[in-house]
Amino acid sequence: MVKTKKKMTKVIAGVTVLATSVALLSGCGSSDNKESGKDGSKNVTLTMVVSGNKAADGQDFELDVLPKMINEKFPNIKLEVQKLPDDQYNTSIKTKLAAGEAPDFFRVWPRMGSAASIIDLSKAGYLADLTDLPFMSNITDGARTDMSNDGKVYGIAKGIDMLGTYYNKDLFAQVGVTEIPKDWESFLAASQKLKDAGITPIVMGDKDPWWIQFGAYQLAANTVYSADKDFDLKLQTGETKLTDPSWVKAISMYKELYEKGYIAKNSLGLGGPQATQMFIDGKAAMIFDGTWDYPTLTAKGAAEFERGFFPLPGNEKGQPVWQAVSTAAGWAVNAKTDHLEEVKQVLNYWFDSNSDLFKEWVKLNPSISAFNGVPLNNDLYKESYELYQSSGNSSYFANQMWPNGVADNLQVKFGEIIGGRNTTAEDVAKAMQSKFDELWKK
Amino acid sequence: MNSAVLKKTMYWFVVPALLMYLVFWIYPILKLFQYSFSDYNGFIQDFNYIGFDNFSQIFKDGVAATALSNTLIYTLVFVVFSNLIALGLAFLLNMKIRATGLYRTAAYVPTLFSAIVVGFIWSYVYMPDSGLIATILSWFGYDGANLNLLGNYDSALYAITSVDIWKHIGTSTVIFLAGLQTVPVDLEEAGKIDGANAWKITRFIRLPLLATSITINLTLSLINGLKAFDYSFIMTNGGPGRATSTLLFEIFRMAFREQQYGKASALAVVSFALIIVLTSYFVLKMNKREVSA
Repeated sequence: MVKTKKKMTKVIAGVTVLATSVALLSGCGSSDNKESGKDGSKNVTLTMVVSGNKAADGQDFELDVLPKMINEKFPNIKLEVQKLPDDQYNTSIKTKLAAGEAPDFFRVWPRMGSAASIIDLSKAGYLADLTDLPFMSNITDGARTDMSNDGKVYGIAKGIDMLGTYYNKDLFAQVGVTEIPKDWESFLAASQKLKDAGITPIVMGDKDPWWIQFGAYQLAANTVYSADKDFDLKLQTGETKLTDPSWVKAISMYKELYEKGYIAKNSLGLGGPQATQMFIDGKAAMIFDGTWDYPTLTAKGAAEFERGFFPLPGNEKGQPVWQAVSTAAGWAVNAKTDHLEEVKQVLNYWFDSNSDLFKEWVKLNPSISAFNGVPLNNDLYKESYELYQSSGNSSYFANQMWPNGVADNLQVKFGEIIGGRNTTAEDVAKAMQSKFDELWKK
Repeated sequence: MNSAVLKKTMYWFVVPALLMYLVFWIYPILKLFQYSFSDYNGFIQDFNYIGFDNFSQIFKDGVAATALSNTLIYTLVFVVFSNLIALGLAFLLNMKIRATGLYRTAAYVPTLFSAIVVGFIWSYVYMPDSGLIATILSWFGYDGANLNLLGNYDSALYAITSVDIWKHIGTSTVIFLAGLQTVPVDLEEAGKIDGANAWKITRFIRLPLLATSITINLTLSLINGLKAFDYSFIMTNGGPGRATSTLLFEIFRMAFREQQYGKASALAVVSFALIIVLTSYFVLKMNKREVSA
């Protein structure tokens, strides 16, 4: 009797243990709850994770407008959107994808740009093929190609982004700079005038190291890509090197701005938010940034002034200026989504040029639209955009053709220059090339 | 094994916890060793084994050396100052003065905040021009705009270490304080009768009896220093350049920013070995010096 009882306890204990273990482990999986809606269609929750900062004032398109309008159009679809700062997004999205925990929609960058890039992710099989969606023919060729790999379209770009120099027209007028600088020499002269008048010519948020790219790529467009548009393709075959004189020149020109004190001292202590604040407060005359920061840079600060925008002229006198213009980041769809039908419904509605949602999107989108027939929104970019369209003198942001990590080395090494170390432009180029050699392969 | 108190069947109840521990703790650690010999990039599951390439690469491009020296400086400064200040504070708070409870609480409060909050607040304290330190300096006629502690290569590492010290002091102080209160009063009185002054009582009676607390505190702060990550991540992003890039921050950067999971694993293995060697050396050495009352 005693023996059987003992046996019993053992069995019960064993079963309990197994049950709890299974329950614990299965708790980690996700559970879908599908209920039937009124009209028989299934209630579905779609998820979206994007990067960036919430719009400072008013409605944020992705966080507020999109989920609301989707739900109005499709009562059975609920869209949950999460927005992470760029840095956190980049470090987490790939882990989410690898773990099978990725959202239905997420942010991607064109070609090889940034951590979540079209080429990397599509090679790994994480992106759904969107080639057949009906609105694709409405997107300009460039924007579609940049979001493709092997002839298949994997993403929809927000539009086109330009890098440029935002400037304070009032401060320029105050020191007597009436014409926007059209070449490197006159740009330096204008900066000197501002500096002599006791005004900080340029402010940058270099504590967020990716800001270094904002200036560097504009200069590289002039020194590197104006002479050789295929520089990076040749880089991949070993024909050119980042240590070639053209890249070294771009880096040393950028270095010059720091050495001459045109860029605010202590920029390594300022993050992006603090730097943009200084600009809108009228404490600095210029800032290098992209069109995506339109809402931040046109927000009201401590000073009222008129803003302007021009490409940083890294060109010699008499040469045309080249701009850094590129397809913007956009959205991709998880290849392993459980709700591909609903996802396609959402996309087709969103990007149908006649829908209300599309119109609302165009209104709130700071990037220049890549859809045919959509006029330019923001007058601030009018001149630069017209120049881009008429001259065709532009190159993409250089990091889109490099493995992720090369741009990181540019930032780390150039940071040493800003910090007053004895690093030369050649050292920076060398570090970039060696990272490229390490990562490009295989 | 047939104990009347603990039945054999009871051992079964360890299994769920053990299972979790094995799956989420031991298994990933073993995986780390596997990845350190591969070119795994963190998201494409098929990868190649490349022998010791990762290990030679981290030493070749100097990243390991920079991260290592940053970590060792951080640890040294952290261990020395956090313990010295905490020890001094513990002696002060052990005195019979008014409102000791209030002071003891005040000393412990910084410990209660999370590193994220502390890092964020201190970024503003250090901010050039309008930060707390810059503002106070400007009252005395210094130009606060030139004070850029986090953006300067020579000061950034010490600036973030100070924050960690500030936050950690509370914990060490509490441990020292508890140790001080176990020092028997009769020993101190015996010392007094023998004519020892306050310094001698501290040096020859209190400090030797504090040896256990000192071991605990030194070990804890040593480990804490060697695994420094939080403030590099929150306050400086490892920058400027790599000036505040510690071992753990560098591992994070490699794995999640540069997508070199294999290389990051190799660096993790190296740090793992280093932390074990350093910690066990100190623990063994200090255990020998302990005395009991």
